[in-house]
Amino acid sequence: MSNIQNEMRAVAKELLESGKATVVLGWEKGTMPYDSTPVMIRSAADVDKLIWDEYCLQNLSTYLIDFINTEDKVAIFAKGCDTRAYNRLVHDRRINPKNSIVIGVPCSGMKNPKVAAKTPEGAEVPMANACKECRYPNPVACDQKIGSDVTPWCTAKDFSDVEAIEAMDADAKAAFWKEQYSKCIRCYACRNICPACNCTNCIFDQSASGWCSKDVNASENQFYGVTRAFHVAGRCIECGQCEAVCPSDIPIMLMNKKFIKDIDTLFGNYEAGLVTEGTTPLNSYQVADPEEFM
Amino acid sequence: MSNNAVENFEPKILVFACNWCTYAGADLAGTSRLQYPPNVRVLRVPCSCRVNPQFVLRAFQRGIDGVLVAGCHPGDCHYTTGNYYTRRRFLLITRMMDYMGIDSRRFHTRWISGAEGPKFQQVVTEMINEVKAIGPNDKFRDDAKIEVKAVETNE
Ligand code: SF4
Ligand code: SF4
Ligand code: SF4
Ligand code: FES
Repeated sequence: MSNIQNEMRAVAKELLESGKATVVLGWEKGTMPYDSTPVMIRSAADVDKLIWDEYCLQNLSTYLIDFINTEDKVAIFAKGCDTRAYNRLVHDRRINPKNSIVIGVPCSGMKNPKVAAKTPEGAEVPMANACKECRYPNPVACDQKIGSDVTPWCTAKDFSDVEAIEAMDADAKAAFWKEQYSKCIRCYACRNICPACNCTNCIFDQSASGWCSKDVNASENQFYGVTRAFHVAGRCIECGQCEAVCPSDIPIMLMNKKFIKDIDTLFGNYEAGLVTEGTTPLNSYQVADPEEFM
Repeated sequence: MSNNAVENFEPKILVFACNWCTYAGADLAGTSRLQYPPNVRVLRVPCSCRVNPQFVLRAFQRGIDGVLVAGCHPGDCHYTTGNYYTRRRFLLITRMMDYMGIDSRRFHTRWISGAEGPKFQQVVTEMINEVKAIGPNDKFRDDAKIEVKAVETNE
């Protein structure tokens, strides 16, 4: 890892000194060993803050939205999932690819910081949930790359957790989701971190519209959960950031993966975040789509 | 839920009807004097594609027992392609509702044309009977809101 870290610092230094970039987004060490937080570097003197370890989980691509109206030239380090997130944002026209430089970093899987926080020091920490199922650890697109590609440890989508819920009876399903969403505090962290949740005006910020209330109860929280999952259906790039940041440990990916599974079954296998042009499953149709409504 | 309560239960069914076909179909059912139980409220929308899934969730939250989304047959949409999007959207939402534990008999999407008065009668009658048999919806309901509403109307 330290070789990659050294290379990152060297690349950042070169980009800032040459003026090819005015800002570099990377990770620095946080307050805890299991905590690597985003850092914004504007001066070549600060590049030694940059680190690369097994907790560089957070996706940096979403920060590019903040630069859409600035004159900055932003370089970001991006793992496989981060490049899919980058593509998502370019596809949604929420970032300007001309003002950004993507430095791809092949990833061997990040560790789960939530578990690490409860694990005694020195003990083995498992991979983050989304990383366990990751099929794109290598950058899917980038301007330059650091390190060499790894062999993906998953090749097919794993829906066994979704199938386990599907197998439950209706009352058990309802009870499960009610319990999960009763824990939601509507902090909107899941939305804020999500590269697919990139709307300029989110409906959940417009409570006067009558669409959504700020009441925090199981019904409104489930309305929030389903609505957000539906808004990202066909666009979610499976980075698992939403679930990773949820302070209430709500299994948000179970919702996202349900839509992914059904989209694949009904409309054909779809991989979000691989391209930046063309349609997505829910803004397109086929005349020959399954017909169940006759 | 006692059997008695289910027997006396009159479900509330909300129909989102596309202006150009299903609404005309419902009208035809009326002018043809086709009888169906009075548990239905029809809400007219410009196209089935106008029905955001949030409308359906909101209805269940506020105490509706069954929802029908109805529009023109594929190929007949007044806006040419609206109902193809409706179809994709509701294929997914129907499955998501089931996943959340809402009985799939409570939520239907159907294509009903302006000439299909009898089909409108048949679809809503079947739905009312089915929902009557399974009882009131208690999933997803926002009971706090419903009570507040009741107090306001009593004033
Ligand atoms: S919904 Fe979750 S997994 Fe999907 S793109 Fe957003 S943050 Fe990533
Ligand atoms: S919840 Fe929906 S409206 Fe809000 S940011 Fe996400 S996609 Fe946009
Ligand atoms: S991050 Fe978790 S607690 Fe916060 S709004 Fe999302 S689901 Fe609710
Ligand atoms: S106009 Fe009837 S479904 Fe579009």
